Amino acid sequence: MRSTRLFSNKFLLLFSIVSIAASSLTAQTLTKKQQDSAYLLNPGQERIRKIKKSLAKKFVNFVGNDVSLFGNLVLSKQSINDKGVTAPINYLYNTVNSNTFNSGYSGGFRIDGIYKEKHRYALSFAVNRVAAGNNYKNKYSLSPFIDDFTHFKADNNFTTINVAAHYKKLLPINAMNKYKFYAVFGPSFDYKISSISKENLINGAGNRAIINGDLGAEFDNKGYYVLYAHYKLGINMTSSSVPMQLNRFEIGMSIKAKDLF
Amino acid sequence: MKILYTILLAVIIFTMNACNKETATTQTDVMNSMLTNKNWYLDYSITGTSTKSYVGQSTYFVTYLKDGTTKDSDGLTGTYSVELIGNQSQLHVQLKTAGGNPLEVIYNIVSVGDTKLVLSKVVTTGTATQLYFTNK
Repeated sequence: MRSTRLFSNKFLLLFSIVSIAASSLTAQTLTKKQQDSAYLLNPGQERIRKIKKSLAKKFVNFVGNDVSLFGNLVLSKQSINDKGVTAPINYLYNTVNSNTFNSGYSGGFRIDGIYKEKHRYALSFAVNRVAAGNNYKNKYSLSPFIDDFTHFKADNNFTTINVAAHYKKLLPINAMNKYKFYAVFGPSFDYKISSISKENLINGAGNRAIINGDLGAEFDNKGYYVLYAHYKLGINMTSSSVPMQLNRFEIGMSIKAKDLF
Repeated sequence: MKILYTILLAVIIFTMNACNKETATTQTDVMNSMLTNKNWYLDYSITGTSTKSYVGQSTYFVTYLKDGTTKDSDGLTGTYSVELIGNQSQLHVQLKTAGGNPLEVIYNIVSVGDTKLVLSKVVTTGTATQLYFTNK
């Protein structure tokens, strides 16, 4: 009984000390220096404000810009034409040719807006992790020894940064004030940022820049999120001894950044 | 703003240039990596229309080691190098005969891969012999 009372008294004392300390913390006022700095302009914030103002002046016709974050599942396959490779190297065809779509992923942000209050657009920046299936167009043989082989083995796991500019056409489907369906199309550009294997550099085959034509459909659920499916057909931007065609399907979702943070 | 644009442009140019490019040794490096540290078993030798098959017999093999030395099942040892002469890839082998005399043999590399190797012996007269090796 006595020990219980002692514990209770100690608890009350501790609670009182914590309460006093807490009240003293909340009652703490800003120092003179802190008050002064609150009135002064923060150079960083001021710079951002100026940039925003400058951009708003330059892009006066681009309105309603919403920044969204997105993530994709990417299914990829590349067609490879090794006709320009002269190096006497063989890769057994059956071991390198899968002719399937393999899955990768990507993520980034996009800005959706309206140009001159009429044309909807989406500008996006993404980082893609591509894992592509390979379809080699040419087969060679050295009878009686090697049945089918290729002269080239393409890198099929690589990372790119992607910039896209899409035009969005609102489709007259369903109640457009709630759910919106868009057809989207436009160009995009990929640049490989992962290292290229030595095998892919032989005979000037290495090529980092890919230019794509994109086509897709998007579903906007009352502005909460956007579900989309895009098809991208990409080719080497500059001439290569191994022209490649990169086919990609992207299935993903974007959510407005202001809803997330 | 101009500073920002300049920095952005500099970063883009740096990123685009800071990439690996083909060098004079790229092709020979790749061929060396495929050639070395394997036992290459002779499967066929073809001279003109005459084909000899050694498939499954494992009668003769040759090994090219990463340190630039080579040895074969007959006990011959020496050094080797992969060279690109013009557009022709060649394997230059410096051997020592049983009598201790140096001997250089040059092969044109017809095709090299992870498991298949085809060499054509360079001869000054007569018909060249093609040698088909496998390492499995």
